[in-house]
This record gives sequence, C-alpha cells and structure tokens, in this order.
Amino acid sequence: MSPDPSPAQRTESLERHLRDHGVLADGEVDADLARAESADGNAPSPALGARVVARAWTDPTFRARLLDDAVAALADLRPLTVPVAVLEDTPTLHHVIVCTLCSCYPSELLGPPPAWYKSFEYRSRVVREPRAVLAEFGTEVPEGMELDVHDSTAEQRYLVLPLRPTGTDGWDEQRLAGLVTRNVLIGTAWPRPAT
Amino acid sequence: MDGVHDLGGMHGFGPVPVDDDGPGFHEPWEARVWALSGPVMRRTTIDRFRYSIERMAPAAYLTSSYFGRWLHAIETLAADPELLDRSPVTRPAPNLPPRSCRFATGERVRVRNAVTPGHTRVPRYLRRQTGTVRRVACVWPDPTRSAATGVYGEPVVHYTVAFAAADLFGPDTDHVVTADLTETDLEAE
Repeated sequence: MSPDPSPAQRTESLERHLRDHGVLADGEVDADLARAESADGNAPSPALGARVVARAWTDPTFRARLLDDAVAALADLRPLTVPVAVLEDTPTLHHVIVCTLCSCYPSELLGPPPAWYKSFEYRSRVVREPRAVLAEFGTEVPEGMELDVHDSTAEQRYLVLPLRPTGTDGWDEQRLAGLVTRNVLIGTAWPRPAT
Repeated sequence: MDGVHDLGGMHGFGPVPVDDDGPGFHEPWEARVWALSGPVMRRTTIDRFRYSIERMAPAAYLTSSYFGRWLHAIETLAADPELLDRSPVTRPAPNLPPRSCRFATGERVRVRNAVTPGHTRVPRYLRRQTGTVRRVACVWPDPTRSAATGVYGEPVVHYTVAFAAADLFGPDTDHVVTADLTETDLEAE
C-alpha cells in the first residue's frame, strides 16, 4: 500500500482538480500570492487599522460615525463585505477579541490573523482567564478595570479602539498611528506610551 | 455540533504562543491552500466551510496545522460536483438595518439548548446561560441554514449578549464575555 499523500501532494492534486473543473484559472494561485506580497497602502494591514484609530483619536465626527456604523464610516477607506463593530475602551473598561469556534478576525481591515490568535491556547483560555492570558503578552490589566472579552461567534468582526495615550496633544495622525500595533487592535496590548 | 473545535473555556491548553506572530505559513503548500481557497469559498458559504472543518475527526483536528484544516475543508467542498458547477453565491450587505427586533437592549435572555448534529455558532459554554442584550450585533443569514444549504438565505437579527464570567466559569472571575447570537438561539428569561 502506498503511504498517505503529504499535504503538499494533496494541495497539488486539489489545484489540478479545481483547474480541471474551471474553478481555478491557470496561474491564479501564483498571481494571488504575488498580489498579497505587493499590497498597496490601503490594503488590509495592521497599519491600516492603526490609521483608523489615529483618525478616531483626532476627528470626533469620524469617531462617532465609526462607533455607530463602522462599515459606513470606513467605506471610503476600505469597502467591507462583513459586519464590523468598533469597541471603545474607556479609563475603566478594556475590550479584547477572540473567536473560540474558529478564527474569525477583522481580516478585511488588518490582513491575516497572527498565528497566536488562531492557537488552541488563546481560543480556549482567553474567555475563561483573560487577565492571565493578557499577562502572558506582558499586558497587565489594572485592578478595578472592567474587562470585556468578545467572542466573535457571528459574522460580525471586532476592532478595539484604545484610549489615546497621555502626552500626545498636538500629535498628527501619522505620529499617533505609530503607537498602535496589531495586538493593540485585538486588545492584547496597550498603545505604546508617548516618547 | 458538539465538536472538538468548540474550545472556549476548555482546560488543559498551555501558554499562548505570543511570539508566533506571523500569518502561520510554515510551508509553501500552506500559502497555496490559502490562495486557492478563495475561488472555492466564493461558491459556497463561510458556514459550510467551517462545518467541513468541524466534522474532522477530533484527533486529526488537534494534530493538523491551521492550514492543514483548511486543506481538509477545501478538499471536502471541492469533492461536491454541484459546488464546482455553481456560480459565486450572493452575499448580503454587511450593514443591513433590522426590520423588527424581538429583544430590547437591557433585556435578560436565556440561550436555548439547541443541540444539533449540524452547524451552530452557539458555543457549548453558553448553552442554557442567561445574559443581557447589549445591542443588535448585525443582520446576517442564519449560520445553521447557510451551512446546510451552501447559500445565504434570509438575513436574521443577531444580538450581542453579555454574560457574567462568574456564571460561566465560576466565582474566581470578574470579567464579562459577550457573544453574537441569533434571535432563534435566544428566549426571554
């Protein structure tokens, strides 16, 4: 008996099968992979998410629209095909997002999720013990701060709008965006402090 | 379905691999699986894709890589000649307003114990639990039906419901967990 085909062999067979049925065009996979590598400035990426946050920090009208209807507020920047909600941190409340059932993530804004977000460890534990999980990221949640963990169980995707760090008065959007990392947008990190 | 994919609240998993920060393409075939999934996914629903993963044997699910699970799902879907012949499915608009809502913000609701061998987006840790409606989450087709049919049907109201973690996981917790659940997953307390 021949050994089971490897994942690479199975992927090759699958590509051939899809091409034979006209579902996949010749060269389509390579073209898609090349396109993903040469993404333009408005392509989904943590940097795009950081720009959204920086704009919300500096433009109260945009912030209000973003919290009310993120899909409409972001239509010019990035057309979305899934519902999106933005979760606003306050001095007494912090949000963190997860998908316990699979790996739902705001990919249309941030690009592909990091591997840790898809891990069994994060998915199983963050709903039960979020303070311990955040501590593993080096993120201490102050005593008395409320913590809301959002399990992305429907098609709606979430993005965290963190508190603007102190000491950033007068900063422009670009400089502010530099304080926002991908983990900040997921809720497992705080924005970098102003320096 | 009561699958191994339903991981929320399970004990026994170790520290989060916080430094594993990339997209998780560990081998070239994984990136190819990601790229070739698009044309298949456009011919079905995301729910049917998820259901294909959920039906993996538990041991295979737990020992496959992330894109190994995708490979399994795309193979399963691509074995269906009807799917291959189908045109891309139509998706609803992402921000439809609700036409009418059975539940109001602030209302206490109980999650139904809707056990099904089919696809459900109600995690096990929320079944029969009582929470508070925060807001309408979205108006989107019912995931159980989308998985069964492979097309998006009539959109239904989903609610963001907040649960006290102490009710779910015991008194040592003080946080809140929210989930987005369909109207038919919920009943008035």
